[in-house]
Amino acid sequence: MPVAKPLFIILAFAVLAVLTACGNDKAATGEEKTIKVTTTIGMITDVVERIGGEYAEVTGLMRAGVDPHLYKASEGDINKLDKADIIFYNGLHLEGKMVEILEKMAKDKPTVAVSEKIDRSLLRTGAQIGLDTEFDPHIWFNVQLWMKAAESIRDALAEFDPAHAEQYATNAEAYLNELRQLDAEVAEKIKTIPEQSRVLVTAHDAFGYFGDAYGMKVMGLQGMSTASEAGTKDVTDLRDFLIDNKIKAVFIESSVPRKAIDAVIQGAKEKGHELKVGGELFSDAMGEEGTPEGTYIGMVRHNADTIVGALK
Amino acid sequence: MSTFWIILTGALVASTCGIVGCFLVLRKMAMIGDAISHSVLPGIVIAFLISGSRDSLFMLLGAAVIGLITVFLIQLFHQSGVQSDASIGVVFTALFAVGVILVSMYTRNIDLDLDCVLYGEIAYVPWNTIEIGGVDIGPKAVWGIGLALLLCVILITAFYKQFKICSFDPAMAAAVGIPVALFHYLLMGLVSVSTVASFESVGAILVVGMLVVPPATAYLLTERLSRMILISIVLGCASSVIGYYLARMLDASIAGSMICVAGGLFLLALLFSPTHGVIFRKIQQKRLLA
Repeated sequence: MPVAKPLFIILAFAVLAVLTACGNDKAATGEEKTIKVTTTIGMITDVVERIGGEYAEVTGLMRAGVDPHLYKASEGDINKLDKADIIFYNGLHLEGKMVEILEKMAKDKPTVAVSEKIDRSLLRTGAQIGLDTEFDPHIWFNVQLWMKAAESIRDALAEFDPAHAEQYATNAEAYLNELRQLDAEVAEKIKTIPEQSRVLVTAHDAFGYFGDAYGMKVMGLQGMSTASEAGTKDVTDLRDFLIDNKIKAVFIESSVPRKAIDAVIQGAKEKGHELKVGGELFSDAMGEEGTPEGTYIGMVRHNADTIVGALK
Repeated sequence: MSTFWIILTGALVASTCGIVGCFLVLRKMAMIGDAISHSVLPGIVIAFLISGSRDSLFMLLGAAVIGLITVFLIQLFHQSGVQSDASIGVVFTALFAVGVILVSMYTRNIDLDLDCVLYGEIAYVPWNTIEIGGVDIGPKAVWGIGLALLLCVILITAFYKQFKICSFDPAMAAAVGIPVALFHYLLMGLVSVSTVASFESVGAILVVGMLVVPPATAYLLTERLSRMILISIVLGCASSVIGYYLARMLDASIAGSMICVAGGLFLLALLFSPTHGVIFRKIQQKRLLA
């Protein structure tokens, strides 16, 4: 079989591609005052926008309502990553295989995992199988941990762009103050729920940090991965627990289908326990841009209000 | 540079899959790529349980072993008289189910699914480079899939006649003294190695698609195996190039766009092929009636 021909064709296409690629790269040079920042999840995008202010041009990869576990890259993402001066991501395997790529990119440009500087003893462990401990990546549910992430972002921006370090520090201070208030506010609100009703039931296991930080028992129907499915026993166990403890509401999440939660509600109804959907919580993604829930602070506030409103 | 690497990777996947895919289409086992893409789940769970890490090397090893077991079982069942589609279906659903059970038993608290730990994304290929002695020698995917392609080209060229007779007429191949089972297993092994290597770099849809669509298109355009292989490689490479620019235009998934273009080319061939095309056959029928 002649092999030379296909190889030649591949080569021809390759040469063509190189020519077009070179043409693209030239256009990018020019005078830039702002630094180009690319981020993965919306929560990080929001923080970088607040701290970077007018000196950072922030591009987020994942839009509202996108589950980072199941995110599919598009062609435009290549440019967003390629043109970025500095990249922020969550880390702890939240972004799946993309984390490996971002770690590799670190030799060309700073790529910062915002969870990296957080003391490992503060993190929730997932599986303890094998040598490495796996950590729960959903750190933004504990506002205090997220403040540490914001500090990493401030430090990384200042290190990368020392000319504006002072402005970053000022912006960060203002933002951290808001977060401190938010933290106190959420803790205050959760305390208004009667103690035995402080149970948060959601479809997937994302709210562990929220429960730890604000004193709620958290139960998820699925495991950590949004791809795994709930077993029958999970559904019945959860149903029985809810009936026994007279819990009034369960919650659905913006980025996870509500099917499994509906099964629990149906099951409880058959046993004569009225269970309602307490509302939609934002878990792995924030709300639409432009709405209050489209910011980190708005999202946390929405979650706290929804939980308190339904369980009180 | 990233454009070049992505298109090159797409073309390499298309060529590797195009070569082995032709044999699979002829043997009515085209969906074996999809089967492997699911059946490797227990492999990655077991690899994780043993190694305790989600490092892609361990995941790749686990997947490769289960990939080989998958094709071995499929071939074994097929030779024992189960229809090829049924044996593919039985093996991959059963293995995938084992994987689901393992995930629910041992790894509930960890994000361990194929999308996260095994399947790569062609958009990220340019950054996942290999360094040897401090020198960047290009993306890992290009080397990995390039090696798989080289292996396919060498083996298929060396034993072209044997592979061909075994695919078209196993009974005759056995009669002339070719070890048919050996060549079947060899081909299946080749399929498994090249698909698993490609999954890791570019994800499932691109591999499964390139394994089926261009060969099926080529099947409509020629009656000769050597030409079928060439045409499917050319169509696959063309789909990669056009697909990439389609993805750029739409700002959409690259792998998805490449396979859509391949599907579009298939549709064109189905309608306009001089021998098998729907339109030409209609014309011929009319002529015969007139």
